[in-house]
Amino acid sequence: MTEPTFETDFWKDAQARKIWDDIVPGQPRKTIPYTLTLEAIQKYCRVVGDLHPLYFDEEYARNSPYRGLIAPPAIHILLMFACTPADDWMRSPGTVNAGQSWSYNIPARPGDVIRLQARALDKFIKKDRLFAVHDNVFFNQRDEVICSGRGWTIRPV
Amino acid sequence: MNSAFEAVKTGQSIDGTPFSPTRESIRDFCEASLDYNPLHLDDNYMQGNFGKTHFGGIIMHGMNNFGVIAKMLTDWLYPQGGVQRRLETRWKIPVKPGDTITPRATVTATRKTEKSQWATLDVQVTNQRGEVVAVGEAMVEFPG
Repeated sequence: MTEPTFETDFWKDAQARKIWDDIVPGQPRKTIPYTLTLEAIQKYCRVVGDLHPLYFDEEYARNSPYRGLIAPPAIHILLMFACTPADDWMRSPGTVNAGQSWSYNIPARPGDVIRLQARALDKFIKKDRLFAVHDNVFFNQRDEVICSGRGWTIRPV
Repeated sequence: MNSAFEAVKTGQSIDGTPFSPTRESIRDFCEASLDYNPLHLDDNYMQGNFGKTHFGGIIMHGMNNFGVIAKMLTDWLYPQGGVQRRLETRWKIPVKPGDTITPRATVTATRKTEKSQWATLDVQVTNQRGEVVAVGEAMVEFPG
Protein backbone atom coordinates (compact mmCIF):
# COMPACT_ATOMS: atom_id res chain seq x y z
CA MET A 1 0.00 0.00 0.00
CA THR A 2 1.37 3.44 -0.92
CA GLU A 3 1.66 5.96 1.87
CA PRO A 4 -0.43 9.07 1.27
CA THR A 5 1.45 12.34 0.99
CA PHE A 6 1.54 14.59 4.04
CA GLU A 7 2.47 18.23 4.28
CA THR A 8 5.93 18.51 5.79
CA ASP A 9 6.27 22.30 5.62
CA PHE A 10 4.69 23.48 8.85
CA TRP A 11 5.03 27.13 7.75
CA LYS A 12 2.59 26.50 4.90
CA ASP A 13 -0.94 27.36 6.06
CA ALA A 14 0.55 28.96 9.19
CA GLN A 15 -1.58 32.05 8.70
CA ALA A 16 -4.73 29.94 8.47
CA ARG A 17 -4.16 28.39 11.88
CA LYS A 18 -5.80 29.52 15.07
CA ILE A 19 -3.63 31.38 17.52
CA TRP A 20 -4.11 31.00 21.28
CA ASP A 21 -6.65 33.84 21.35
CA ASP A 22 -8.85 32.05 18.78
CA ILE A 23 -8.92 28.66 20.50
CA VAL A 24 -12.34 27.96 22.01
CA PRO A 25 -12.31 25.22 24.68
CA GLY A 26 -14.95 22.64 23.82
CA GLN A 27 -14.84 23.36 20.11
CA PRO A 28 -14.34 20.28 17.92
CA ARG A 29 -11.31 20.14 15.62
CA LYS A 30 -11.51 18.91 12.05
CA THR A 31 -9.87 15.54 11.52
CA ILE A 32 -9.21 13.21 8.60
CA PRO A 33 -9.40 9.39 8.55
CA TYR A 34 -6.15 7.52 8.10
CA THR A 35 -5.39 3.97 7.04
CA LEU A 36 -2.61 2.64 9.25
CA THR A 37 -0.13 0.50 7.32
CA LEU A 38 2.37 -2.05 8.59
CA GLU A 39 5.04 0.05 6.91
CA ALA A 40 4.07 3.13 8.96
CA ILE A 41 3.93 1.11 12.20
CA GLN A 42 7.37 -0.37 11.62
CA LYS A 43 8.87 2.98 10.62
CA TYR A 44 7.71 4.42 13.95
CA CYS A 45 8.98 1.37 15.87
CA ARG A 46 12.42 1.58 14.31
CA VAL A 47 12.97 5.23 15.19
CA VAL A 48 12.25 4.62 18.87
CA GLY A 49 14.32 1.44 18.85
CA ASP A 50 11.38 -0.86 19.53
CA LEU A 51 11.79 -4.04 17.49
CA HIS A 52 9.41 -6.26 19.46
CA PRO A 53 8.24 -9.24 17.36
CA LEU A 54 4.58 -8.32 17.99
CA TYR A 55 5.22 -5.50 15.53
CA PHE A 56 7.54 -7.30 13.09
CA ASP A 57 7.15 -11.10 13.16
CA GLU A 58 3.84 -12.22 11.72
CA GLU A 59 4.11 -15.82 12.91
CA TYR A 60 5.14 -14.83 16.42
CA ALA A 61 2.29 -12.35 16.59
CA ARG A 62 -0.25 -14.85 15.24
CA ASN A 63 0.69 -17.30 18.00
CA SER A 64 0.53 -14.62 20.70
CA PRO A 65 -2.57 -13.60 22.68
CA TYR A 66 -2.95 -10.75 20.16
CA ARG A 67 -3.41 -13.27 17.29
CA GLY A 68 -1.72 -11.05 14.74
CA LEU A 69 0.56 -8.09 14.24
CA ILE A 70 -0.30 -5.00 16.26
CA ALA A 71 0.98 -1.46 16.65
CA PRO A 72 2.63 -0.40 19.92
CA PRO A 73 0.44 1.65 22.28
CA ALA A 74 2.29 4.88 21.51
CA ILE A 75 1.36 4.72 17.81
CA HIS A 76 -1.00 7.62 18.62
CA ILE A 77 2.12 9.75 18.19
CA LEU A 78 1.83 9.11 14.44
CA LEU A 79 -1.97 8.97 14.39
CA MET A 80 -2.21 12.45 15.90
CA PHE A 81 -0.54 14.11 12.95
CA ALA A 82 -1.84 11.64 10.36
CA CYS A 83 -5.44 12.46 11.31
CA THR A 84 -4.93 16.22 11.66
CA PRO A 85 -5.32 18.56 8.65
CA ALA A 86 -2.51 20.91 7.67
CA ASP A 87 -4.29 24.05 8.94
CA ASP A 88 -4.83 22.70 12.47
CA TRP A 89 -3.22 24.66 15.32
CA MET A 90 -1.45 21.52 16.50
CA ARG A 91 0.96 22.15 13.62
CA SER A 92 1.77 25.77 14.39
CA PRO A 93 5.57 26.14 14.22
CA GLY A 94 6.98 26.63 17.70
CA THR A 95 4.25 24.64 19.46
CA VAL A 96 6.01 23.15 22.51
CA ASN A 97 4.77 19.88 23.98
CA ALA A 98 4.53 20.28 27.76
CA GLY A 99 2.90 16.99 28.70
CA GLN A 100 0.63 14.17 27.64
CA SER A 101 -1.81 11.78 29.25
CA TRP A 102 -3.09 8.71 27.38
CA SER A 103 -5.34 5.75 28.16
CA TYR A 104 -5.22 2.57 26.09
CA ASN A 105 -8.08 0.21 25.27
CA ILE A 106 -7.22 -2.11 22.37
CA PRO A 107 -4.21 -2.09 20.06
CA ALA A 108 -4.30 -0.55 16.61
CA ARG A 109 -3.49 -3.01 13.84
CA PRO A 110 -2.11 -2.83 10.33
CA GLY A 111 -4.94 -2.00 7.94
CA ASP A 112 -7.08 -0.26 10.54
CA VAL A 113 -8.92 2.79 9.27
CA ILE A 114 -8.38 5.24 12.09
CA ARG A 115 -10.84 7.97 12.99
CA LEU A 116 -10.01 10.78 15.41
CA GLN A 117 -12.50 12.71 17.50
CA ALA A 118 -10.72 15.82 18.72
CA ARG A 119 -11.44 19.11 20.41
CA ALA A 120 -9.80 21.91 22.26
CA LEU A 121 -10.43 21.14 25.92
CA ASP A 122 -8.93 24.04 27.86
CA LYS A 123 -6.66 27.05 27.64
CA PHE A 124 -4.91 28.96 30.39
CA ILE A 125 -1.96 31.20 31.23
CA LYS A 126 0.67 29.87 33.63
CA LYS A 127 4.09 31.35 34.43
CA ASP A 128 3.53 33.88 31.62
CA ARG A 129 3.08 31.07 29.08
CA LEU A 130 0.01 30.46 26.91
CA PHE A 131 -1.21 26.89 27.28
CA ALA A 132 -3.82 24.98 25.29
CA VAL A 133 -5.07 21.48 26.03
CA HIS A 134 -6.30 19.19 23.26
CA ASP A 135 -8.49 16.17 23.86
CA ASN A 136 -8.46 13.19 21.48
CA VAL A 137 -10.07 9.79 20.99
CA PHE A 138 -8.92 7.37 18.28
CA PHE A 139 -11.36 4.75 16.94
CA ASN A 140 -10.90 1.89 14.49
CA GLN A 141 -13.21 1.00 11.60
CA ARG A 142 -15.48 -0.92 14.00
CA ASP A 143 -15.89 2.19 16.17
CA GLU A 144 -13.91 0.53 18.96
CA VAL A 145 -11.83 2.92 21.05
CA ILE A 146 -8.11 2.36 20.53
CA CYS A 147 -6.90 5.04 22.90
CA SER A 148 -7.81 8.44 24.25
CA GLY A 149 -5.65 11.21 25.54
CA ARG A 150 -4.85 14.80 26.21
CA GLY A 151 -1.91 16.97 25.35
CA TRP A 152 -0.75 20.17 27.03
CA THR A 153 1.01 22.51 24.63
CA ILE A 154 2.64 25.91 25.05
CA ARG A 155 1.50 28.09 22.19
CA PRO A 156 4.00 30.05 20.10
CA VAL A 157 3.96 33.84 20.48
CA MET B 1 -6.29 -14.33 36.82
CA ASN B 2 -2.76 -13.56 35.66
CA SER B 3 -0.43 -15.01 38.30
CA ALA B 4 2.47 -12.72 37.30
CA PHE B 5 0.67 -9.98 39.21
CA GLU B 6 1.49 -11.68 42.51
CA ALA B 7 5.19 -11.03 41.89
CA VAL B 8 4.70 -7.29 41.30
CA LYS B 9 5.71 -5.47 44.47
CA THR B 10 5.65 -1.84 45.55
CA GLY B 11 9.13 -0.38 45.25
CA GLN B 12 10.12 -2.69 42.40
CA SER B 13 12.08 -0.92 39.66
CA ILE B 14 11.96 -1.41 35.92
CA ASP B 15 14.88 -0.16 33.85
CA GLY B 16 14.37 0.83 30.24
CA THR B 17 16.75 0.84 27.31
CA PRO B 18 18.92 3.97 26.98
CA PHE B 19 18.23 6.06 23.89
CA SER B 20 20.74 8.39 22.24
CA PRO B 21 19.11 10.79 19.79
CA THR B 22 21.12 12.16 16.88
CA ARG B 23 20.23 14.80 14.31
CA GLU B 24 19.45 11.90 11.99
CA SER B 25 17.22 10.07 14.48
CA ILE B 26 15.30 13.30 15.15
CA ARG B 27 14.83 13.77 11.41
CA ASP B 28 13.69 10.13 11.15
CA PHE B 29 11.22 10.77 13.97
CA CYS B 30 9.78 13.68 11.96
CA GLU B 31 9.15 11.27 9.10
CA ALA B 32 7.74 8.49 11.27
CA SER B 33 5.45 10.78 13.29
CA LEU B 34 4.65 13.32 10.55
CA ASP B 35 5.57 16.00 13.11
CA TYR B 36 7.78 18.40 11.13
CA ASN B 37 7.66 21.22 13.66
CA PRO B 38 10.76 23.39 12.97
CA LEU B 39 11.71 22.93 16.65
CA HIS B 40 13.07 19.59 15.50
CA LEU B 41 14.78 20.41 12.22
CA ASP B 42 15.56 24.11 11.73
CA ASP B 43 18.70 25.35 13.54
CA ASN B 44 18.21 28.94 12.39
CA TYR B 45 14.68 29.03 13.75
CA MET B 46 15.92 27.58 17.04
CA GLN B 47 18.33 30.47 17.60
CA GLY B 48 15.30 32.62 18.44
CA ASN B 49 13.52 32.94 21.76
CA PHE B 50 10.26 31.19 22.54
CA GLY B 51 8.64 33.43 25.07
CA LYS B 52 10.88 32.88 28.10
CA THR B 53 12.63 29.87 26.63
CA HIS B 54 15.80 29.76 24.54
CA PHE B 55 16.69 26.34 23.19
CA GLY B 56 19.81 27.28 21.19
CA GLY B 57 19.43 24.45 18.68
CA ILE B 58 17.07 21.71 17.59
CA ILE B 59 15.50 19.51 20.25
CA MET B 60 14.19 15.95 20.23
CA HIS B 61 10.42 15.50 20.05
CA GLY B 62 8.88 15.11 23.50
CA MET B 63 6.90 12.26 22.00
CA ASN B 64 10.12 10.43 21.14
CA ASN B 65 10.68 10.38 24.88
CA PHE B 66 7.10 9.14 25.32
CA GLY B 67 7.84 6.28 22.90
CA VAL B 68 10.99 5.34 24.79
CA ILE B 69 9.02 5.18 28.06
CA ALA B 70 6.22 3.15 26.42
CA LYS B 71 8.80 0.67 25.09
CA MET B 72 10.15 0.19 28.62
CA LEU B 73 6.65 -0.61 29.86
CA THR B 74 5.71 -3.01 27.06
CA ASP B 75 9.09 -4.78 27.23
CA TRP B 76 8.32 -5.47 30.89
CA LEU B 77 4.65 -6.29 30.38
CA TYR B 78 4.41 -8.44 27.26
CA PRO B 79 6.31 -11.48 28.64
CA GLN B 80 4.03 -11.42 31.70
CA GLY B 81 0.76 -11.01 29.80
CA GLY B 82 0.42 -7.47 31.14
CA VAL B 83 -1.10 -4.52 29.27
CA GLN B 84 -0.13 -0.85 29.26
CA ARG B 85 -3.32 1.01 30.15
CA ARG B 86 -2.23 4.55 30.87
CA LEU B 87 0.80 6.82 30.58
CA GLU B 88 0.98 10.43 31.68
CA THR B 89 4.14 12.45 31.14
CA ARG B 90 5.47 15.93 31.74
CA TRP B 91 8.56 17.19 29.98
CA LYS B 92 10.95 18.99 32.32
CA ILE B 93 13.90 19.98 30.14
CA PRO B 94 14.60 19.48 26.43
CA VAL B 95 16.62 16.60 25.03
CA LYS B 96 19.20 17.44 22.35
CA PRO B 97 21.28 15.50 19.83
CA GLY B 98 24.20 13.88 21.66
CA ASP B 99 22.25 13.32 24.86
CA THR B 100 21.55 9.83 26.19
CA ILE B 101 18.26 9.39 28.01
CA THR B 102 17.33 6.43 30.19
CA PRO B 103 13.81 5.69 31.44
CA ARG B 104 13.09 4.03 34.76
CA ALA B 105 9.84 3.12 36.47
CA THR B 106 9.04 2.24 40.08
CA VAL B 107 5.93 0.41 41.18
CA THR B 108 4.04 2.67 43.61
CA ALA B 109 0.95 0.56 44.27
CA THR B 110 -0.91 -2.59 43.31
CA ARG B 111 -4.65 -3.04 43.38
CA LYS B 112 -7.16 -5.77 42.67
CA THR B 113 -10.58 -4.70 41.40
CA GLU B 114 -13.69 -6.79 40.87
CA LYS B 115 -12.61 -7.83 37.41
CA SER B 116 -8.85 -7.36 37.16
CA GLN B 117 -5.46 -6.57 38.67
CA TRP B 118 -3.58 -3.30 38.35
CA ALA B 119 -0.31 -1.62 39.21
CA THR B 120 0.66 2.03 39.16
CA LEU B 121 4.18 3.23 38.53
CA ASP B 122 6.14 6.44 38.77
CA VAL B 123 8.20 7.10 35.67
CA GLN B 124 11.36 9.15 35.41
CA VAL B 125 13.69 9.78 32.49
CA THR B 126 17.20 11.09 33.14
CA ASN B 127 19.94 12.25 30.79
CA GLN B 128 23.66 11.46 30.92
CA ARG B 129 24.20 14.27 33.45
CA GLY B 130 21.63 12.79 35.81
CA GLU B 131 19.17 15.58 35.10
CA VAL B 132 15.51 14.60 35.10
CA VAL B 133 14.16 15.34 31.62
CA ALA B 134 10.70 13.81 32.08
CA VAL B 135 8.47 12.53 34.84
CA GLY B 136 5.19 10.68 34.70
CA GLU B 137 2.87 8.01 35.96
CA ALA B 138 1.76 4.79 34.36
CA MET B 139 -1.01 2.31 35.05
CA VAL B 140 -0.78 -1.28 33.87
CA GLU B 141 -3.18 -4.23 33.97
CA PHE B 142 -2.57 -7.93 34.54
CA PRO B 143 -5.84 -9.35 33.20
CA GLY B 144 -6.95 -12.94 33.55
